[in-house]
Amino acid sequence: MNVQSKTFSAAVLAAGLCLAVTGCTKSGDSDSGGDSKSSAAANDNAAASQQVASPSASGPGCTYKTYGGGVPKLDITDGKTVVGFSQSESTSNPFRATETKSIEQQAKKLGVKLIQRNANADVNAQNSQIEDMIAQGAKVLVVAPENSDGLGPALAKAKAAKVPVLTIDRTVGGSACTDFMAFIGSDFYHQAQIAADDLAGATGGEAHVAILTGTPGNNVTTDRTKGFQDQAKAKYPKMRIVASQTGNFAQTDGQKVMEQLLQSHSDINAVYAENDEMALGAIQAIRSAGKTPGKDVKVVSIDGIEQAVKNVAAGQMVSDIETNPRFGPLAFQALQDFYGDTGVQPKVIIKDGHFTADNAKQALDQGLVY
Amino acid sequence: MTPTTWPGPDLLDRARLTRLLQAYGVYAALVALFVVAAVLDSSFLSAGNVRIQLFQVAPTLMVALGMALVIGTEGVDLSVGAVIALAASVVPLYVGYGAPLAILIALVFGAVSGALGGTMVAFARIQPIVATLSLMIGLRGVAELINGNSAKPVMDSGLLSLGSDGFAGVPLMAWIAGVCAVLTALLVRRTTFGRQLVAIGDNRQASKLAGLPVRRVLVTVYVLSGVLAAFAGAMIVGHGAEADPANQGLNMELNAITAVVVGGTPLTGGRVRVLGTVAGALFMQLITAVLTQHNVHTSYTQLVEAAIICCAVYASQERGTR
Repeated sequence: MNVQSKTFSAAVLAAGLCLAVTGCTKSGDSDSGGDSKSSAAANDNAAASQQVASPSASGPGCTYKTYGGGVPKLDITDGKTVVGFSQSESTSNPFRATETKSIEQQAKKLGVKLIQRNANADVNAQNSQIEDMIAQGAKVLVVAPENSDGLGPALAKAKAAKVPVLTIDRTVGGSACTDFMAFIGSDFYHQAQIAADDLAGATGGEAHVAILTGTPGNNVTTDRTKGFQDQAKAKYPKMRIVASQTGNFAQTDGQKVMEQLLQSHSDINAVYAENDEMALGAIQAIRSAGKTPGKDVKVVSIDGIEQAVKNVAAGQMVSDIETNPRFGPLAFQALQDFYGDTGVQPKVIIKDGHFTADNAKQALDQGLVY
Repeated sequence: MTPTTWPGPDLLDRARLTRLLQAYGVYAALVALFVVAAVLDSSFLSAGNVRIQLFQVAPTLMVALGMALVIGTEGVDLSVGAVIALAASVVPLYVGYGAPLAILIALVFGAVSGALGGTMVAFARIQPIVATLSLMIGLRGVAELINGNSAKPVMDSGLLSLGSDGFAGVPLMAWIAGVCAVLTALLVRRTTFGRQLVAIGDNRQASKLAGLPVRRVLVTVYVLSGVLAAFAGAMIVGHGAEADPANQGLNMELNAITAVVVGGTPLTGGRVRVLGTVAGALFMQLITAVLTQHNVHTSYTQLVEAAIICCAVYASQERGTR
C-alpha cells in the first residue's frame, strides 16, 4: 500500500513539475505581457511624472538644521550614504509596483545607495523592517506607511538615531519636521470630491449611489469617504447615498458586495469605488445583474490603473481619478532640498490626472497610465 | 426517528431535544433565515437574487466538501485558499489551449498540492494543521511567482462562460457544485473508501491495527480536497474575469471550515455530514447576503458570523456525548 501511494504521489508531483518547468504555456490574450512594459514606459515618460500642485505653506522649509533639533548633514549622492525605502504593500498591486520601480530608478539615476523592504500590508512587519534598516546603517528613510497610527515605534527609533523620515502616499501621525520630515502625496479628499462631481454630471445630479469603501482604518479610506459625502451634501441635494459597504480595496470583495447591493437596491444607478480594483469587480457585478455598466449604472473610481482607464475609454466607466505613484523624482528632490538651503514644505500635494471619455484613449496611447 | 405525531411531554426531555437540534438544527435555521429574509424584503425570493447567491456560494461549497472529508479524518486543510491562488496563477497561462485543458492543468496542480499535504500527514505524521499551514504560506508564494505578481484580466470565453452562464436558470457553477455534493455524499455513505475514511477519523490507531489502508486513504482525501479547491479557483477566476493570486482565495480555508462546522460535522473526526455542509455553506452565504443587502456595517456582520460559529461548535461538542 505504502509503496503504491508513494509512487502515485511521486508520479503526480513529477507531472506537475514537468508542466511547470517545460513552460509550454499559452496565455491566449495578447495583453498579459504588456503590463510590465507599459509601466516601465510610464516611468520613463516625462509627461507621466509627478508635478507639484501645492506646497502647503510658503514659509521656510524643513532642513537638516531644523529637523528634530538638527541632524547630521549628508550628501545622499556620494555613493556611500545609505538611503532606506520601506514599501507598505505587495507589488502585485500596480500602484505599488510602479511606486517601488520609480524610487529604484531615481536612486540609480542619482547614484544613491538604496536598501529596501516590503511589509506586505503588515504594519508590525513595517515597524521592524524600518528598525532593521536603521541598524543596517540607513541614514535617511523614505517610508510609504501602511497606516496612519501604527508606525510610532519605528518613528521613535528613527528620531533617537537622528535618522530623518520622509513619508510618501499615506500620512503618519505627529508633526512635520519633528516626527517626520514631510508628506508627499495626493489630496485624497479632493479626489473624492471630483468623483462626486463626475457622478452628478453623469446622472444629471440624481445619482443613487453605492459606495465601495476601502480597507477600514487608514487615512485614504477615511478621506475618500468623507470627501465624497461632504461634496454630495454640499452641492448635489438630489444625490442619495443608498448604501456604503467595504470591498477591502479588492476586486473579488468589490464584486461580491456589489452583486448583493444591486439585488436589494434596484434603484442604484451609480457606483463610487474608492479604488480601481473594486470598480473592476463592480463592473462584473453590474453585468451579472443583467445591466450595462456605463448605461444603466455609472461607475467612477480612483487610482488610474491601465485596466480601469481602458474601461473609461470603452465607455464602461465615467471617469477615473489618478493617484500618481511615480514618487522617485519628487522624493529625492525633497531629500536634496532638505540637505540644502531650500528646505522641504511639510505637505507637498501632487497634481493628479483625471481620465474621462475625452482623454482616456490618448492617455493610454501616450503610456501615461500604470 | 420513529414518531410521526408530535412527541408527548415525556419524550421532550433535554437529551432528546439536543439530539433533534443536532440532527436538524442547521436545516431549521436555514429555513428560518430564508423566511425572515423573505419577510424583510420580498425580492429576496426573486430568481435574480437566488441566482446571485448560488454564484457566490458555489466556490465555497466546493472547497467545503473537500474540507468536510478532511475534517472527517480528524484533520484540517488550511492550504485550500492558497490552492485557489495557485489555480488562479496557472489558468491564465494555459487558457490559450482552451478553457477545459487550462482547468484540467489547474486540477493537476491542486492534486499535487493535496498529495504533498497528504504525504506530510500520512507518512511524515506531521499534524494536519502544521502540514497544511506550511503549504498555505508556501503555495501562495509559488502562485505569485508563477503569475509574475500582478492581477491579470481574463477574456477567454470558455472561462467566462463557466463563471457567468447558467442552465435552466441555475448557474453552471452551482450545477457543478451540486453534482460534486451528490458524489461526495455517495462516496461517504456508499463506498468502502467512505467507511474507511470515517473509521480512520474515529480512531486512527485502531484502523491501522484492523488493517485499513490508513495512509492511502489519508493521501487520497487531501488530494480530493486540493482538486476541489483548484476547481473552485477556476470558478472564481471565471466569475471575476480576473486572475489575482495575491488576493483570490484569501480566508477561503476559514469560510470552508465554518460551513463544515455549522453543518454539524464535528472537528474531532469520525463523522462527515455532506448535506449538513451544503446547508452550512448556504446558511453562511445567506446571512452575509441579508446583512449586506440591508447595508449593515461590516463590523456587525462579523459579530453575527462569530456568534453563529460559537453556537454551532457548542452544538457539535454536545454531539460527542451521544
